Amino acid sequence: MMDSKALLLNIQVVAAALVCIGLVGFLTRRNMIIMFLAVEMILQGVALSFVAWGRYHGSLGGQVMVLFVITVAACEAALAMALALMLFQRRGHLDTAACFALGEPDQVTQVAEEVLPQGEVEEPEPQPQWPHLPPAGRVPQRSPEQDAYRSHV
Amino acid sequence: MTTWLVVGSLVLGAGALWLLLPRGRRAGRSLGTLLGTIALGLLLAALEPLGPGWATALFYLLAAMTLVSAVCTISFRNPVYCAVWFGLTLLGTAGLLFFQGAQFLGTATVIIYAGAILVTLLFVLMLANPRGQASYDRRAWEAPLAATVGAALLGVFLTGIFSAWQVAPQPQSLDEKSYALAPLGAELFSKHLIAVELAGTLLLAALAGAVAVVAQHAPRNAPLASSTQPTHSARSSTPEAQVR
Repeated sequence: MMDSKALLLNIQVVAAALVCIGLVGFLTRRNMIIMFLAVEMILQGVALSFVAWGRYHGSLGGQVMVLFVITVAACEAALAMALALMLFQRRGHLDTAACFALGEPDQVTQVAEEVLPQGEVEEPEPQPQWPHLPPAGRVPQRSPEQDAYRSHV
Repeated sequence: MTTWLVVGSLVLGAGALWLLLPRGRRAGRSLGTLLGTIALGLLLAALEPLGPGWATALFYLLAAMTLVSAVCTISFRNPVYCAVWFGLTLLGTAGLLFFQGAQFLGTATVIIYAGAILVTLLFVLMLANPRGQASYDRRAWEAPLAATVGAALLGVFLTGIFSAWQVAPQPQSLDEKSYALAPLGAELFSKHLIAVELAGTLLLAALAGAVAVVAQHAPRNAPLASSTQPTHSARSSTPEAQVR
């Protein structure tokens, strides 16, 4: 038989660590989708904490609460993904540091200067090596609109 | 003893997070991994043993899996890898929920989070990932400050948890059967019936909202389609007109 009190402590510690890791991810990352992942991680930590408290007090309330948290998270995911897709189609990137549409036009955007350093040389990331195929057949005809729409192909 | 373990874990963990977060350089990642492993070991050493050896070992395994994959989720450069590591975090969390006897929630986490939300997310990543690694994925925003803040907040949490745990009473003996599916369903559909109905309505509203957000710009491609393939556009413009 497990020690219920020790289990409460251990789960709370893991849940707190999960919440803090998610917080650091939300504060530092600039990709909108990874920020969303970090928020979901915070919700996971809170869910663990709720279930542990419910078990400690011998009630099902914690589990019921977590069920509603999952419901709200699903709604949030649907809306956030739709908004991220719209943002990418309009701007071509998912960088939250470059979204200053809500600011006044005559204000200086200090954050943008700070997080997008000018003139600093970055180490290039290793690019994936794709197999090289010999050209065969005829080149397909593409319209310029299609090229703009599908940048990968 | 526990205090020093926790303090060492927090300091090393903050350093590890700073080194592991994307900084535009590759140097220091192996040192960050080493520091993170030591910090995780110290944090797990500060926990209490759970009684039988198998339970303690299983808990440590699940906790380490959850926390390591959580750190990987926020520190990898490629968003697709981040999403896959987040899937492992979800599996670890579901394991911890099973470990506490919350069978339905563990299953629901795997089905809803890992099965639905994560797959939607990967679809969006496929649709919205620019070619190669974007510059905003290779450079984090105020990494040292955020790692310090995270460690400080965790320190506050852990101080509260450990000090409250010292004086907490031993819980009354639990009946494991009261955590099975049937009691949870009975509780959910008797005490919380209106909340369940409201949650269903909320899901419907979110679905309609997501469709409305995405369908807002659907007619934009209509002239392009009509210039290349007139028959196809004549067929496809009808549902768009209905959406409008």
